[in-house]
Amino acid sequence: MATSNIRVYRDLMGENEKWAAKTREFLAARQLTMLNLIGSPGSGKTTLLAALVREAGASGNFSVLEGDVETTHDAERIAALGIPVSQLLTNGACHLEAKLVHYALKDLAVKDRGTVVVENVGNLVCPAEFDIGEHAKVAVLSVTEGEDKPLKYPLLFRECKAVVLTKTDLLPHLRFDLAQCREYIRQVHSSVPVFEVSAVSGAGVRELLHWVQNVNKG
Amino acid sequence: MHEFSICEGIVKAAQEELGRMNPRPKALRRARVVVGRLHAIVPDNMEMAYEVLTRDTPIAGSKLELEFVPITAKCRACGWEGGIEPPVFLCGSCLSGDIEVLTGRELYLSNLEVEQDGDE
Repeated sequence: MATSNIRVYRDLMGENEKWAAKTREFLAARQLTMLNLIGSPGSGKTTLLAALVREAGASGNFSVLEGDVETTHDAERIAALGIPVSQLLTNGACHLEAKLVHYALKDLAVKDRGTVVVENVGNLVCPAEFDIGEHAKVAVLSVTEGEDKPLKYPLLFRECKAVVLTKTDLLPHLRFDLAQCREYIRQVHSSVPVFEVSAVSGAGVRELLHWVQNVNKG
Repeated sequence: MHEFSICEGIVKAAQEELGRMNPRPKALRRARVVVGRLHAIVPDNMEMAYEVLTRDTPIAGSKLELEFVPITAKCRACGWEGGIEPPVFLCGSCLSGDIEVLTGRELYLSNLEVEQDGDE
């Protein structure tokens, strides 16, 4: 019996990348912008999204894909705002992949030139690995977590095009070191913009909305 | 546990590559995958996923071998080139954050060690 070592070269993200590319084509044809919100469970992703939609008002032209392991609770919260939304249930999987997002996007009643926000499954590790065809990954970190999360989960903070620090209205009650957190973010990804937002007081929501509405321009 | 998703791709790619070989090998012994350190891949999880996903397939019993590639970068400010130790992505010389990551994003199937009916 002879053994031989055969050289091959096969990109292992190829299948996911194929669907992500189809999504990018779809987005370009409809002049849509797509964001991929990634953060821990309970970091305030859905509340942040609702605050952005309210701030934008009728001209916002938002639609949403909600990724969760179970339940349609988040989609119901977003549907109450009167915008198109679909719930993607992963039935246990810890992240969204490009194929599921592609089919859901095609079924969503999006208007041209709008913004589609995909809220990924609450998780700081796995979603960062998968391109779903988005224009930007956005890392959501609440100030009730630790300021060292950017160092603990560097892939996400390296891959994202913006970091949103949520729940800043709670800062007076916490020992969260905001300056240290910003320094950790800088060490991982020096050029990334950081937004400090409170969906409760509304602080910082307008600045973030402005970034969202311009992320795909130039 | 994104390792399972990634491993599904490995198992599929390895079988397709084997099917393409002429003469067709008797069996697969080892599949080697190159993984950049930027990917958060845990070897134990990958090996378990590989074992589970190859069960009852023509490549059952083969081994997965991971070859890790370190993260390297070039500094746009001072021209330094060298290794990056995550999680800190700063220049190793001038501490600038304005760096270009050169290696560490790899994720591909690189080699298949196969058994063939030999004449010897």
